[in-house]
Amino acid sequence: MKKTNGPKLILTLFSIAIGIIIASMMKSGIEHYAPVTVESIQSLKSEISMINNEIIEMNQIIKEKEEELEILKNIYKNEEDIVDILSIDLVNNKFNSGYSRLVGPGISIKMYDNQSSEIIGFDVNDDIIHDVDILNILNDLRVAGAEAISINGERVISSSEIKCAGPTIRINGTSVATPFVIKAIGDPKQLMAAVNAPGTYGETLREVYAIGFEPSIEDKIIIPSYSGRFSFKYAKPKGEGEI
Amino acid sequence: MFFALIGVLVGGIIGLLLPYTYNTAYTLYITVAILACLDSVFGGIRANLEEQFNIKVFISGFFGNSILAAFLAYVGDRLGVPLYYAAIFTFGNRIFDNFASIRRILLFRKKSV
Repeated sequence: MKKTNGPKLILTLFSIAIGIIIASMMKSGIEHYAPVTVESIQSLKSEISMINNEIIEMNQIIKEKEEELEILKNIYKNEEDIVDILSIDLVNNKFNSGYSRLVGPGISIKMYDNQSSEIIGFDVNDDIIHDVDILNILNDLRVAGAEAISINGERVISSSEIKCAGPTIRINGTSVATPFVIKAIGDPKQLMAAVNAPGTYGETLREVYAIGFEPSIEDKIIIPSYSGRFSFKYAKPKGEGEI
Repeated sequence: MFFALIGVLVGGIIGLLLPYTYNTAYTLYITVAILACLDSVFGGIRANLEEQFNIKVFISGFFGNSILAAFLAYVGDRLGVPLYYAAIFTFGNRIFDNFASIRRILLFRKKSV
């Protein structure tokens, strides 16, 4: 009996060792090797590239935040003046929100109702400019990369409305009448092409509906600042990363 | 035979309770090593039943085989040739051989008793 006990003990011990290895192996979650299809490789690849892009973006955010932190630390050490930084911030915020006058190259479009005595179409409505026409032109300009737009001296910002109000059009709560002068800062050639090329909305207005539509490239366009106030009654800011 | 089974079960429970896991990169090597270890244990059981069990042979086989198998898998990975097939075939074959011997020994012993 003593002869057989030793080997049994050792075998049991080593079996336990194998059991431990197998169990911790199974825990690491490699249950099966599924056959790999080209499709799954593709989807995995796109997933990986998406995640990599996310990582790159996050790294950029980290860098930005680190720079901000550095600035804040410098403020703490009195190496930089908080007033300077805040005034730089103020300028940036004003720039982004439309509270600053802007200047740059772009185009200026003069629009007016059909001046000729002949009526085009059946209805006199076809001969005047509507809010929809302005909206379409604005959209074309934005597609072409317009950075700032104004209509008759009213800055068009993110919350600006363009509403038909009888013979006039209301923008930012102010009524404006023909002739409308739309000014936009951006790449002048692209902006011009967006409203003047054959097949565009602006070209159709001029050629089909005989509405006055005179775009011109200008080297120095001045866009006035937004004079109203932002007021948020229902919307509340939501923190970064919150769900 | 049965003490080895009980040992594997006990080890499995311990392993599940332990918080330790492997890096997934080593899966292949550990799998092959487990196969080699299993072969050694089967060989040990058979030797025990044949009353030829030698601790030195068993332990050297247990560790030597598993390390060699893992090493083969590693070299195969490096060379791009699936050398671990050699280990899988050899040890898989031997496990069944050993198991066949164990079966026969157990069956005929019970018949004779």
